[in-house]
Amino acid sequence: MTNMDCDQLIDYLNGTLSKNDTDQFEQHLTSCTECQEIVEATGQLPYLADPMEPPAGMKSRILSNVFEGTPEKNDSPVALKPEMAAIPIQKPKQKFHIGKPLIAAVLLASLLGNAYAFMQLSDQNQEPETAIQSIELEPSAAFSGTATAAMIEEQGALNLVVKADQLAELDASQVYQVWLIKDDKPIPAGAFSPNPNGEGASYYQLEESSAEWDTIAITLEPEAGNELPKGEVVLSSEI
Amino acid sequence: MEKSTDTYLYMRISEQDKAALEQLYDRYEKILFSFLYKMLEDRELAEEALQEVFIKIWRGKGIYDESKGKFTSWLFRMAQNTAIDLIRKRKKPSVPIEEAMQMASHDLPVDEQVEWKEKKGQIETAVQRLSSEQQKMIDLFYFKGHTHETIADMCDIPLGTVKSRIRLALKKLKTSLHGMQGRGAYDD
Ligand SMILES: [Zn+2]
Repeated sequence: MTNMDCDQLIDYLNGTLSKNDTDQFEQHLTSCTECQEIVEATGQLPYLADPMEPPAGMKSRILSNVFEGTPEKNDSPVALKPEMAAIPIQKPKQKFHIGKPLIAAVLLASLLGNAYAFMQLSDQNQEPETAIQSIELEPSAAFSGTATAAMIEEQGALNLVVKADQLAELDASQVYQVWLIKDDKPIPAGAFSPNPNGEGASYYQLEESSAEWDTIAITLEPEAGNELPKGEVVLSSEI
Repeated sequence: MEKSTDTYLYMRISEQDKAALEQLYDRYEKILFSFLYKMLEDRELAEEALQEVFIKIWRGKGIYDESKGKFTSWLFRMAQNTAIDLIRKRKKPSVPIEEAMQMASHDLPVDEQVEWKEKKGQIETAVQRLSSEQQKMIDLFYFKGHTHETIADMCDIPLGTVKSRIRLALKKLKTSLHGMQGRGAYDD
């Protein structure tokens, strides 16, 4: 306890050290077992709290405030950053007919704080520029979940919204990965993990418009960010 | 295991992966909200503090790496510091000392997360092994965010010894926890 650095432990825990002193103390932590262990023990004090039900709607309020002002890759609002850039497809455009019931499914994506883009879309859905197709995905034999996909083609971009229900809980690193497939060649098209109610949703925007995909599939991937599917297909449909 | 997956999520968050932040949010929403509520005793303030925590994480104001110890220790410390800032800004008088003495109640819904329940049991036992003055010290320092001056006043001890008393209380807490968590092999 004569060590000057050890003396700073309490101020460190309290967050009252300057940036410099904090860095210095963290340096000290790497070599002082006792301070390290006290920090870890203190880190367990929050478990003393009695479980409280969070206020309704807190998650979407907080996440939309957190993400506010985060620059996006595209000009239009995007709820989730695509795992990787989509492969450009050079194919002639082909429009679907507008399917109205889809708007409801699309609005479910507002769970992700993304209502804005689609509210606009639903107001304008008489415009010939917008084409929408709704797809029910078929679960594989052992899978209990369900999913609906919406492909919205607008102003030269293809938006893919997937909403899934009754999903089993995942390990922390696992994700449900959405794929668009053309002639057995998949590209990643969004990913999600279920909330405690077993619901998940993803939103993905392809910069190049294309209606030429033949299949949509969702796999259970051992980790996020895979370029090609490694996990089992749990839901799929022809497009 | 918990550590590496949290670290992995954090890494993705530092690359501005929104899905990763959402996952981290889902994982810690309940414990953080409950903890912040315990500190702030106000649901709106607890939400405000929680939002602040995730803004800090998203904007990279606090930076985590594994050299800083367990991810949860880092996360909870940031939450605790954020709540203290709010407490100090708040004009309302703080809670009476009798209430401050109640470290925790004992009932927990059966369906609650196993890990939380287990840790809660351990930390409660460890806290109960402290003298009542030490319990008070930890509560005033950690949960109520009082300044050293106030603590010296409330506990009637010299200002100069406040820090070393808190340290001693935390050290004893650590030793008890190690005993329970099977990590008692350290030489103190
Ligand atoms: Zn030390």
